This record gives sequence, structure tokens and C-alpha cells, in this order.
Amino acid sequence: MLTDIVTKYRDAFAPGAATELRAQRNLSRRVVLRAGSITQNQRTDTKGIGARVYQDGVYGFASAADLSDDAVRAVLKSATDNAAFMARHAGRGTGPLPAIASGQRPADADFADLPQTAYIDCLQALDSYIQQKYPGLESRTLVSSADSMEKLLLTSDGYTSHILAPRSYIYVMLTAKGKDGAPVEVFEPLGGSGTFDRHFADPAALYPAVDRLYEMVMQKAEGVYADAGVKTVIMAGELAGMLAHEAVGHTVEADLVLGGSVAGPNLHKQVASPLVSMTDFAHTAFGQAAPLPVYVDDEGVLAEDAVLIENGILKGYMHNRQSAQHFEARPQGNARAWLFSDEPLIRMRNTAVHPGKDKLDDMIASVEDGYYLLHTGNGQADTTGEFMFGITMGYEIKHGKLGRAIRDTTISGVAFEMLKTVDMVSDTVSWGSSGFCGKKQPMPVGLGGPELKCRVTIGGR
Amino acid sequence: MNAHDIAQYAMQKLQETGAQQYACQAHTSAKREFNVDGGKFSLLRTTIDNQLDLTLIKDQKRGKILINAFNQEAVDEAVRDCLAAAEGSAADPAWELVPGAQRKFILGAPDGDMDQLFARTQEMLAAIGQEYPKVMVEQMIVAHQRSEGIYLNNLGASYETVEGLYEAQVMFSGHDGDRSSSFNFAAVVTDQLDKPFLDQGSMRQNLADAEKQIDTVATEGKFVGAVVFTPDCAGDVLGELLGNFVGDGVILDGTSPWKDRLGEQVADQRLTLSAAPHHPAIVCGERYVADGYLSEDYDIIKNGRLNQFMLSGYVANKTGKKRAPNSSFSLVMQPGDQPLHDIIAGIDRGLLVSRFSGGSPASNGDFSGVAKNSFLIEKGKITNAVSETMISGNLAEMVNHLRGISSEFVRNGYSRLPWFAVDGITISGK
Repeated sequence: MLTDIVTKYRDAFAPGAATELRAQRNLSRRVVLRAGSITQNQRTDTKGIGARVYQDGVYGFASAADLSDDAVRAVLKSATDNAAFMARHAGRGTGPLPAIASGQRPADADFADLPQTAYIDCLQALDSYIQQKYPGLESRTLVSSADSMEKLLLTSDGYTSHILAPRSYIYVMLTAKGKDGAPVEVFEPLGGSGTFDRHFADPAALYPAVDRLYEMVMQKAEGVYADAGVKTVIMAGELAGMLAHEAVGHTVEADLVLGGSVAGPNLHKQVASPLVSMTDFAHTAFGQAAPLPVYVDDEGVLAEDAVLIENGILKGYMHNRQSAQHFEARPQGNARAWLFSDEPLIRMRNTAVHPGKDKLDDMIASVEDGYYLLHTGNGQADTTGEFMFGITMGYEIKHGKLGRAIRDTTISGVAFEMLKTVDMVSDTVSWGSSGFCGKKQPMPVGLGGPELKCRVTIGGR
Repeated sequence: MNAHDIAQYAMQKLQETGAQQYACQAHTSAKREFNVDGGKFSLLRTTIDNQLDLTLIKDQKRGKILINAFNQEAVDEAVRDCLAAAEGSAADPAWELVPGAQRKFILGAPDGDMDQLFARTQEMLAAIGQEYPKVMVEQMIVAHQRSEGIYLNNLGASYETVEGLYEAQVMFSGHDGDRSSSFNFAAVVTDQLDKPFLDQGSMRQNLADAEKQIDTVATEGKFVGAVVFTPDCAGDVLGELLGNFVGDGVILDGTSPWKDRLGEQVADQRLTLSAAPHHPAIVCGERYVADGYLSEDYDIIKNGRLNQFMLSGYVANKTGKKRAPNSSFSLVMQPGDQPLHDIIAGIDRGLLVSRFSGGSPASNGDFSGVAKNSFLIEKGKITNAVSETMISGNLAEMVNHLRGISSEFVRNGYSRLPWFAVDGITISGK
């Protein structure tokens, strides 16, 4: 655990300027086992100190790869000088930031930094299982990946905090030969928040998930290409979460609203079916811990939920302190930084569509000709809300019943139009948290939702 | 400790592990960065960082550790972790470092002119406002980065580097009342501040296009037509092609459709594509590879023939193929002999695609995705900007259905690419 070298420096903050001082350590592990060979076996340990100073509507930031008193003094001076330079040349005359609540968030429980063999051994056991049970696969790739952020934060007027946030995953990728001879792939991340041993103490516990994935890749090998066009689909929770994050979430980040996103002119308007509600949860969602809880952000703001869409009406944006001042809103803990050398940006935390009342079976039964879309490989969206998700696993729905698997395809739509077509929402939420959101800096995020029945454009041949 | 001292200390500690091969890279970096958000200056950022990268191979087992602390205690711990990682790994004779040379490289502009950089940043922001009044700058990042350090391995390689470059990237969209275009971006890296950023790379083209993309039409129906990829988009599309067909992963696991086609014609004979970090268009290109050898330019595809896989030393040893002479993605494509205007004039119905938002292509090269920031081509002319338009095809078929490569090209400091046009792409709308 980091030794506290920041709290004694409160008196060194420039008078009247909002200042954040953050000591941080990021640890990561990555082992890749591709076709039985360890192609990556790496540990990364990054630590340092960063400071940000607000003056007259602009910021100065500085960081150093050193956790020493000299480094603290140097980054505070450099950040203050940078803020003064920006204020001199580009000050906005907006005055000080509105006050926020102050307090203390004590240290979370420490966690064990496991030896590299823990990551290697688990993968090798899993690989051995796959190789022996499914020798007909074209290829298999297993990745164990763990990362953690530890932050010691001192702010001039908000919360001080000591946060530890580890997460751990195993990614399983299976490749089979399709009926046309071309390879087909499926992919699934396993794991979540917490250390590697919490999720993967027993490799045998993962075998059922691998068996399900094998079944999928063999179905996909016999699969068909989707029929291109606008179709009725049922998006699984993984895709609903991607939609919440990529297609809606980014457009309601206040910095992107100021940059011209589609959410600007749509505040308080109907942007979705009344069946759709969406929230960026801080640490607790639907009565349970959110996948990647955030209690205090990197501006020292105590985190609370940000309601984005309520019964189809766009209700609000996600803010940092500065954008909250601009929009006369309350910051809710969305300002986060990835490394010690990064400044806090407006980021999502655990963004999800709320569950409805429908049963998945009834939803499938209601589709005459469409698709059930299960897994996505990636997703991108525009500030206009136009989105694209790669679909890596899905099935036809014909006459209310699941049919053949489909090959890789892409779906697209415009969020605030497509969400108006939602006419059924399932009663079960599923979450994902294995990815990084990319917005200048990477950031771990949680995303989730129930199954949604809606209309989207699907690509095909 | 400075980078040279810490590297020497790390090499001594690595030797003490009894590893047969080991290497160390130690670098310090300093970055100063101006940020603009929502069209206004928002931040000046100064970051000082270190990177120490340790690799050892003991009894054919490899470990790798990256840290950013430059002190003896941290190095001692990192070397212990590196050894533990290797010992926990499986023996694999394909891991190896190679003997190298002794070189010192001074690249780009190590000493940045921050006053001039700020002036160029102010100038760009003002010029966008004046010359492209319908464009809203969502974010602009302009920076100078200096890096200094050394690579050493126990087989004699010693590479010292001192380098610096300027980078400018801008993300923007066109707006008129409540109507807006999709966002787009442009980026350049350079080692000189002798001309405005706006006059480099695809900056002006993309900004002008954003204003024309505020009002769009949705493509009706589905048809098979020609697609012209802009140089920015060409880099992304070619990156997918190379990753899917000639990269480490797909050759190692044998899923590349081109795995047995070295020396064969895999593309139209007009296509020559190189990884060329020494090319004059590339700023601060790679000079050595972490295995220990010096980087050299090479052709991946030459006149349509597959000339070289993009393989690391490890995968080359593993598969018995030749390793790539560099590990960079500094793509240089040979321009064609037709002006872009003539290529477009010959297209009856198709798209000019500036950005592709798609899923990862399937192993066989099938791809589909949304054509962003794109225009319809009808009867030889660029007409309306489009929205909600998908394109799909196959990467391998695409490079065999080449319609033309433009004589014009864009150099942005990290690649030099022309426009290229292909036939046989499925274009679908509502």
C-alpha cells in the first residue's frame, strides 16, 4: 500500500486556487497463451505523483515519476506555474469553482500482489482442459489480465481519499473451421472486480463456461450470414450495456455536450421509449454492489448516481466540477484519471439500462423474423449518437423461435431514434466490466442492462 | 539516477540472475501539452516520466517487467519479479535476443520551442474559427515530447536515443443550429514548426468536409459499388488487413488465409505497401527492435506479391519463417499514376469513405461497418454526404479488386498514404 506522502502538503497549496494532489500506483499483469505457447508474460508497475491547479477557468497540471517530498513540491510548483500561464493567456473570468462537500474516505482493504505463476498456472490448466476435450478446434487463445489503481488524494476543498481498485479477468477465444473452410471465432471474458485469486482459485470452475463457448463456436461454424437491412432484434444485456455506454453515455458527458453532442439540444426531451431508463451508477445498482464501484472521484467529489434517462426523457449529463458550474448542476463524482500522469476527465462508472417486466422467452416468441444478438466484440459511437457494434455471436429468430447461429456482423443505428423503437425490456440485468473506455486516457468501466427488443440496421453480405 | 546509470545497474543485476540472455531499456520522457476543450483553452500539462523495461531468458524461459521508478531498490525488486516470471513460465526455445551494434541516434526536435508551439496552437484555433465557421472544436491536443535513453543487451547491442517531436491532434464536428455532422479528427506529428499545423496532413480536407457533412442523406437500399478510401481511412483499413493476414497472432495460430502464400500474388500488382520507419515522411521512426537488431525498411506487399510477414523474432522462430526487419507500423504505400479526380470521374455509383466504424474483421477477412464522414459518388462526381450507410466486403478480395491508387498522397508524420479505390463493396442503407 502507498505510504501517505500527500496529506501534509495541504498548506503548500496556492491560496484561493482549487488544487488536487494525487499519489498513484497502477499495477498490471498480462499473460497470453496462444495455441499453447506463452507469447506474453509481463508485469507493469507504474507510480508517481500528479497535481492539478484551477485558476480563472483554466487548469495547470504536472506530474513526476517519483513518490518523494521533492517530487511533491516540484509538481505543485509546476502545476501552479502552468495554471498561471494559462490564466494569463486564456483565462475565462469564470471565478472560483462552487464549493463541494469535504470529508474523508479512508483506505480500502489492501490486496495481495500475487506472483506471476498464479496467472500462468491457471491459464495452463484451462488450456490443457480445452486441448484435451476439444482437439478439433483450429486454435485457442487464453489471456489472463489483471490491473489495479491505488490513489491517495488530497484536495483543497473536497474529499480526501485512499482508494484501491483491483480487477481480474481471463479472456477465452476459441477458433473453429466453418463449414465453408473459413475460420470462425468466439470470445468471452470471465472475472470482475477484485484480485485474480478471488475469481480464479479453481480453474475447474471455469470449465462450464468454456463448454458453453465451445458449443457456440461449433454452432457458429455451421452459421449463416445475417440478412442486411433494418431488422427487429433482441439485444442481450451485454449489448444493452454497450448501447448505454457508447451510444448514449458519451453523448451526455458534459464536455462532449459542450463540444456539440446531440444531447445538447435534447435535454428534457423524449429521446427513448417510456420503457427505457438509464443511470450511471456510482457504487450500488439495483440493490447490489456495482461491478466497479466509485466512492470518491479524483476531484474529491463524493460519488452519487447520475440519472441520464428516466422513462424515456433525457434528464441530465455527467459532470466534472467545471462543467457542473457551467450548466449550474451538481458534480456527482465522474471526474477520473487513469495514471498519476493523467488529469481527471469526465468518465462513466457503471452505466446501465434499467430492467423492465418482460420475460426473455416472451420477447423471443414475439419476433416473427429477426435476430437475438448475444455478444459484441467492440463498439463505437458518434457525438450524433450514431453507433456501431461488432456482433460476434447471435442467432436467427424465425416464427418466435431461435434458429441458426449467425456469422460475425455489425449493427448500427442512431441512439435517440433506435431507443424509441424499444417495445419490450426484460426483467434481468447482466453486467460487463472487462474493457477499457478510451477517451484520451483508458479507464475501466462497468456497463450493463436487460435484454431490449428494438429495431436496428444489421450488416450482412 | 539517470537512464544510463539505471540501465547499467539493471544489466549488472540481470547478470546476477544467471540468465543466459537479458536486455534492458531505460528512458526518461518529458511532455508539455496544451489542451483545448469545447473550442477554448483548458489545460497546460507537464509530465515527467521514466520507463525501465527488463527482459530475461533463462533456460529458455522468458520474463518481462516494466516499471517507472529509477532507483536501485526498485530495480532490485523488478529483477526479482522478472526472474520469478521467467521461472514460472514454460521453456520455449523460440525466445531469443540477438547480437547487435553500438549506435547513437538523435532524431527529430529534442529541444522543443514552447513559445512557438503555443503560438502555432493559438494560430490553429483562430484559423479554424475564421476559415471553418461551422466547425466546432471538441478537443485539440498539441504537445512536444522529448525522450532520452538507452537499450542494452548482453549480446553487445547498445542503442542510445535522444529524440523529440511535436504532435497536434484535433477532434471536431460541423454544426448549423441543432444539426451537426459526425465527429472527425486529424492528427500530425512533425519535428519542425516552420508551417501551420493546419497546412499539414489531412487537417484542411477533414475540416472542410465536416462543414459539408452537416446535412446528410440516408443511402436507400443495397447495391454493390466502388469505394474510395481517403488516406486517413486507408491507414485503418490496411491495418486491419495486415493484422488479419500477416501479423504475429494469425501466423502463429495458423488462421491467416495468407499463411502459405509468401511470394505469391495476393493483391493487384499496383499495390506496394511498406513498413518504412526510415522513410523521409516518417518522424522519429523506429531505429531498433527490442530483440536487439537494427530496424530496416521493408516491403510487406510488393507489386501485389506477398513479400514479408510482419513477424516478431519469437513467432519467426516458432514458425520457421523470416522475422520482419522492423516492428513498426510506419506504413508507406506507393502512390498510383492517376489523379484522384480521374479515379472518381470513372465511378458510376459508390462512396468516398473518410472514416470506417466497424467491428473487428472475421478471420477470413469479412468486414462490415458504418461509413462515417462519407460522401456519395454518382456518375463520376462527389454529391451528398451520407448517414446510416454500411459497407461490407472481404479484405483479401478488396485488394484484388483495386480500381485505382491516386497520385496524390498525405504525409502526416507517421504514415504516407494515397487514396485508393476498390470495387465490389456492398453498400447498404435503410
